[in-house]
Amino acid sequence: MPADTPLVANERLGETVRQIIADVLMIPVERVHPSSALVMDLGAESIDFLDFVFRLEQALGRKIPPSRWGDFVKERLDGEDLASGITADIVREFAEREAAAGA
Amino acid sequence: MTERVAVTGVGVVTPVGIGAGEFGPALRAGRSGVRRIRAFPCDGFETQIAAEVDDASLDAVRFVDRPKLLKLMSRSAVFAVAAAAMARREARLGADAVDPRRLGVCLGAGGMGVVDLDLLAGQADAVLASATEHGGTSWDIPAFARIYRARTNPLSMLRGLPNLAAAHVAIQHDARGPNSTVTTACTAGTQAIGEGLRTIQRGDADVVLAGGTDAMINPVGVLGFGMLGTLSRNNDAPEKASRPFDKDRDGFVIGEGAAVVVLEREGFARGRRAPILGELAGYGVTCDAYRITDERPDASGAAAAIHRCLEDAAAGNDEVGYVNAHGTGTPMNDLTETRALKQAFGEQAYGLPVSSTKSMIGHLLAAAGAVELVASLLALRCGFLPPTINYETPDPECDLDYVPNEARAARFDAALSCSFGFGGQNACLLIRRW
Repeated sequence: MPADTPLVANERLGETVRQIIADVLMIPVERVHPSSALVMDLGAESIDFLDFVFRLEQALGRKIPPSRWGDFVKERLDGEDLASGITADIVREFAEREAAAGA
Repeated sequence: MTERVAVTGVGVVTPVGIGAGEFGPALRAGRSGVRRIRAFPCDGFETQIAAEVDDASLDAVRFVDRPKLLKLMSRSAVFAVAAAAMARREARLGADAVDPRRLGVCLGAGGMGVVDLDLLAGQADAVLASATEHGGTSWDIPAFARIYRARTNPLSMLRGLPNLAAAHVAIQHDARGPNSTVTTACTAGTQAIGEGLRTIQRGDADVVLAGGTDAMINPVGVLGFGMLGTLSRNNDAPEKASRPFDKDRDGFVIGEGAAVVVLEREGFARGRRAPILGELAGYGVTCDAYRITDERPDASGAAAAIHRCLEDAAAGNDEVGYVNAHGTGTPMNDLTETRALKQAFGEQAYGLPVSSTKSMIGHLLAAAGAVELVASLLALRCGFLPPTINYETPDPECDLDYVPNEARAARFDAALSCSFGFGGQNACLLIRRW
């Protein structure tokens, strides 16, 4: 997606996030459910989150400062185990926050 | 350690075939893998030819347990993983057949750093954009940083580290034993297999996946070696360009690919009734300590490596029935190598078949020594001498039997594989019938 056509509609953003997760993990998009835990269910590892954030930057057309994802996860999961706690839904929430922050 | 070290499986990715089943017959048929470069537009380049791996024939997904890992693999890492998978399959080394801590990996890699074409292109685009952004004409580094950061996947740098090919192989095979990467360019593949041999001899592993990989067919690689005057410019007749030992040789042709062999301690191999293809019997390595590109004219460094290898194998000169030469096809190497062989073998050099498989597949750089060891082993097992193709005009100063143009049937019990590289690094391996 070219950097100068950022997404703003939530439904499209939700679908885009699902596709990004599928592309990063190289799995069929059908396997990505809102409750899918990225690490425990879908096999994500630490560097995959760098890839997610990068592709989200491309989709939103703006840079996301490096600490944003980490801060969001810490605040949102509040001590919950990351392997089971980071779900596709959580990633979508992050994307929506970032999209709104840029608007 | 008095146990021998066996080779129990081989895997290759080459410009003339993927897998030993294709590679062996191609060598016997004298097939050339050299073509006009397809990877990038090369009009105006002084050298427009290379020996490329046929991408359509290599289905990388087959060789990795998780497709996701392909994203992190350079082209040369993909070659290595494929070669390792094929070697292990041939060795019939099952998933739980070896204690992971006793399984090691040693690969030659990173011929020029690891620079895949798409990474280069990304950098070039960002440099260009940074220069032209404000109508400038030179590289504006702060602008480049912003542009490159915005456009470049953070994971791409991981494809540029030479040690990661061996890491990917280790991940695929749960190889938790010793793991190293050898970056001696033209000799790296030979040295990596030699170091794998030593690892087992020292008792540090029972099995080592050893080999080499390289993929340097990109504009900077082709230009770089070309500007040093080392590449053939025979663009009009690509298949005839690589002509080691021929009087009209004008340089080497860059190739790409990988080879991995499974090395096993004898007792371990016998214990699991492994298919034993041959013995890796000796390894010798020296350095000219002379100049960065020129070899010692008296060939003493290369001759010493041959001598050390034979000594290591406790092999007499007359035991060697075939030499797979470094044979790059540069005016200097082939002459020096001929001298080295005469020094090492004396009069017997004249009765010893020596051929260069680089005549067919080009110079695979960090993979060369590994692929050439496999070629030597296949020749030994199948009873033939691979030819030096394109041998049309003898050079009076290179007067050995180079197995010109056509393979010959021959039964022999030991083969010597030589690599003599930039930096004066010399390495040889001896493979012996079990």
